[in-house]
Amino acid sequence: MFKLITVALTSLLLSVSCTKKQKTEYGLDHKETLKINITTEPPTLDWSKSTDTTSALIQDNIMEGLVDYNFDDPDLSLKPSLAKEWSSTNKEQTWTFTLRKGVKWTDGVELTPQHVVDGWERLLSPATASEYAYFLYGIKNASKYNKGEIKDFKEVGVKINDKGQIVVELEGPQSYFPYLLTHHCTYPVRKDIIAKHGDRWTNPANIVTLGAYNLKTWEHDKAIVLERNENYYGEKAKTKNILAYMIKEASTAITLFETGKLDVQGNLPSAELKALKKKPEFKQNGILLLYYYGMNTTKPPLNNVNFRKAISHAINRDEITTMLDGGQKPMTSWVPPGMFGFEPEKGTKFNPSKAKEFLAKAGYNEENKPPKIELAYNTNEDHKRIAENVQAQLKKHLGVTVEIKNEEWKSYLGKLKSNTPHIYRMGWVADFPDPDNFLNLMTSYSDNNHTNWGNPQFDTLIKKAVSVDKKEERRELYSKAQKILTEQDVPVIPIYSGVSHLLINKRVQNYPMNVMGRRKFKEVVLK
Amino acid sequence: MIEKIRAYSFPALLVWLLFLVINSFFGFSMHPLVIKGTMVLLVVAFGYYVVNMKLFSYVTHRIIDAFLAFFAIATMTFLLLRLLPGGPFDQEKTLPPEIMANIAKKYNLDAPIYQQYFDYISGLFTLDLGESYKYIGRPITEMLIEVLPASVELGVFSLLLAFILGIPAGVLSAANHNKFLDRLLMFGSISGVALPSFVVAPFLILIFAFKLEWLPAALWDGPSYYILPVLALGSRPAATIARLTRASVLEVIASDYIRTAKAKGLSRLKVLFKHVLKNSLLPVLTISGPLVAGLLSGSFIVELIFAIPGMAKHFVQSVNNRDYPLIMGVTLLYSGLLILSNLIVDLLYSYFDPRIKLS
Repeated sequence: MFKLITVALTSLLLSVSCTKKQKTEYGLDHKETLKINITTEPPTLDWSKSTDTTSALIQDNIMEGLVDYNFDDPDLSLKPSLAKEWSSTNKEQTWTFTLRKGVKWTDGVELTPQHVVDGWERLLSPATASEYAYFLYGIKNASKYNKGEIKDFKEVGVKINDKGQIVVELEGPQSYFPYLLTHHCTYPVRKDIIAKHGDRWTNPANIVTLGAYNLKTWEHDKAIVLERNENYYGEKAKTKNILAYMIKEASTAITLFETGKLDVQGNLPSAELKALKKKPEFKQNGILLLYYYGMNTTKPPLNNVNFRKAISHAINRDEITTMLDGGQKPMTSWVPPGMFGFEPEKGTKFNPSKAKEFLAKAGYNEENKPPKIELAYNTNEDHKRIAENVQAQLKKHLGVTVEIKNEEWKSYLGKLKSNTPHIYRMGWVADFPDPDNFLNLMTSYSDNNHTNWGNPQFDTLIKKAVSVDKKEERRELYSKAQKILTEQDVPVIPIYSGVSHLLINKRVQNYPMNVMGRRKFKEVVLK
Repeated sequence: MIEKIRAYSFPALLVWLLFLVINSFFGFSMHPLVIKGTMVLLVVAFGYYVVNMKLFSYVTHRIIDAFLAFFAIATMTFLLLRLLPGGPFDQEKTLPPEIMANIAKKYNLDAPIYQQYFDYISGLFTLDLGESYKYIGRPITEMLIEVLPASVELGVFSLLLAFILGIPAGVLSAANHNKFLDRLLMFGSISGVALPSFVVAPFLILIFAFKLEWLPAALWDGPSYYILPVLALGSRPAATIARLTRASVLEVIASDYIRTAKAKGLSRLKVLFKHVLKNSLLPVLTISGPLVAGLLSGSFIVELIFAIPGMAKHFVQSVNNRDYPLIMGVTLLYSGLLILSNLIVDLLYSYFDPRIKLS
């Protein structure tokens, strides 16, 4: 045994004393490399199939859509990207896009309108099984094609006209249609590259892109390196490289930030926010995210609208955001700030005496005490803190006993579908900055509405608002819808709108911070 | 002479293999002599197995048993997964039914369960573990091959640390029974057993990365990056091994043949390391099977804290994501490692104590 140990030790020493291969952060120059943390391995870089924000961050830097957000405009208007101009006719039911000339993929092939159509065809093809296929369901026959009811894509309302423009015919007017084309799922694709390499077409050696950066290295579960695209059609990226580490544990990433290994770190744990906020590197910005509680309107006593109003009036949202101390904005209305349709005065405000009045109207008093209700959330420290706070507030202001229950995420989602609890936690992040994206989810036909609530008047307002092209008229319709949702029927309790927290090293300038959480790095400058 | 070669071929082979593993993980170019030397040893070791028919028959039986166990584990895991609430494609934004239907068709989830089961089991015979649901288009086999090296590197070094520190500490402790050194070492080992890696790791980072700035706080880019995670992961098994070795040595040291060895005038060190240690290692061997499998398949906490691109995270995340093929893949890989390491331990039993017969 002694010999064994001796030989093992000698082997180890021999190994260590040999010449080591050179490995220095992928050979990148610190001065020209922005080092960020994308937290996890991107599930896929195939933009027709991905659904997560990690993949989107990489895709948004190596690819572009027909249009892009103008974040300098508070109304979040659109600006040209691959399309140089676009227009609508037929009351926003037909849209025409003209592509920019001279845009080249990284293999030198010029972008054509067919590449855009190919991207949409692939997204809608049942064989792709894309989770975001519904994004283009507004296009004529698109959902039928996705369901397999139509086999020929020529029957779908997407054509290339004689002038080389892309003409889109919709099922009905859809004022926000161009906004959908900012999303990665609608980016153009190269069918020849996909046919050649199959599922491996997104490997760095195979992929062709046309964004401000190229995919240089993808070391699974470790890091991705993006390199400036010198043939980019627009102004070249100001920082040469992006090194994106995949560090799941926030405290580890913060340690690396503090030791200079990372330039930017998001995903800051709420428990550490208080200390981190004191740092000069700390930054925060509002994002289009709504944190809310839904109520099962078929489960007694929540089937009584007065009881629901009593609950909503008894919750002080300010108390919750103060407890979280992360810059969240308390909400009683449904559409978050940073988007047209935001009406902070709407909703059931905190008012304990009104809450008691509604409780009495619901038939509960000192003699007839309200029954115990269940509040469910998916396991997470912040959700727990909020649930406990709400539990305490409802006990204090209404005398209602709340039993809080947590479940692991997938089990929780299963429960929402099979046996929705009295009150459940949920959140919504904007897919595109339009009130429809938020209000549509509470329509009676929405798969995301777990409250079992439906109001035909509300549904009609939402359908009508989509087809109206005048902004003020749309605002009016959404205002009425919000009133029904948050004041009249109250199947939901908005809690707060979201905030993104970041640590950004002082050497990083122009780091993209916007309400959509889009991170395009081409304007980032390193000092 | 031949007997000696036969007797030493097996441990020698293990050591050479270890050497090769270390070299390949560090990324050194291998000298041709090393390769030739390994080849010779392999031939010698193979000869040892062929000549020893009893061993051959034993190993064959164990491999058949392993296949049966493997099959049972695959079946149980497959069925249990289907009982878990929540599906792989359930998410915050509920998908329209037609899209769910497309996904189910693509991943064969619309087929009857028995059909899915037979497809999966038949795939196993060609090492086709399917494709991940979460990491779209990536074959499970490829994913595991990509993440395994980091976990094995971490595991091998932690294991070496555990044996190199644990065994001598246990022997020294026993040799100095109830003296200061014994108490000191046992205090250290009790602390080692009591402190979990999620306490040790941040502590090490604080001291060596923050205060002293000697070592990197995280990531996995070369030998200097290995030191803290290996210490964090290896300290606990080292402490366990030290305690086990001490108890076992104390028992053996009181035997008649040790008294005889001492009476013959052998030096204290020779008695300890030649006569006592070999017979004291059986308990250490017993725990080595699961220990090896556990360390080689990575540690979720240590890999998470040090941002090591290993496979341990898949044990947890694949379940959270309901990524059925990946859950099956990591379960079967872990089972395979466990079965293999236990087989090696059983073979080593007869080497360390010839009284134990393989049957």
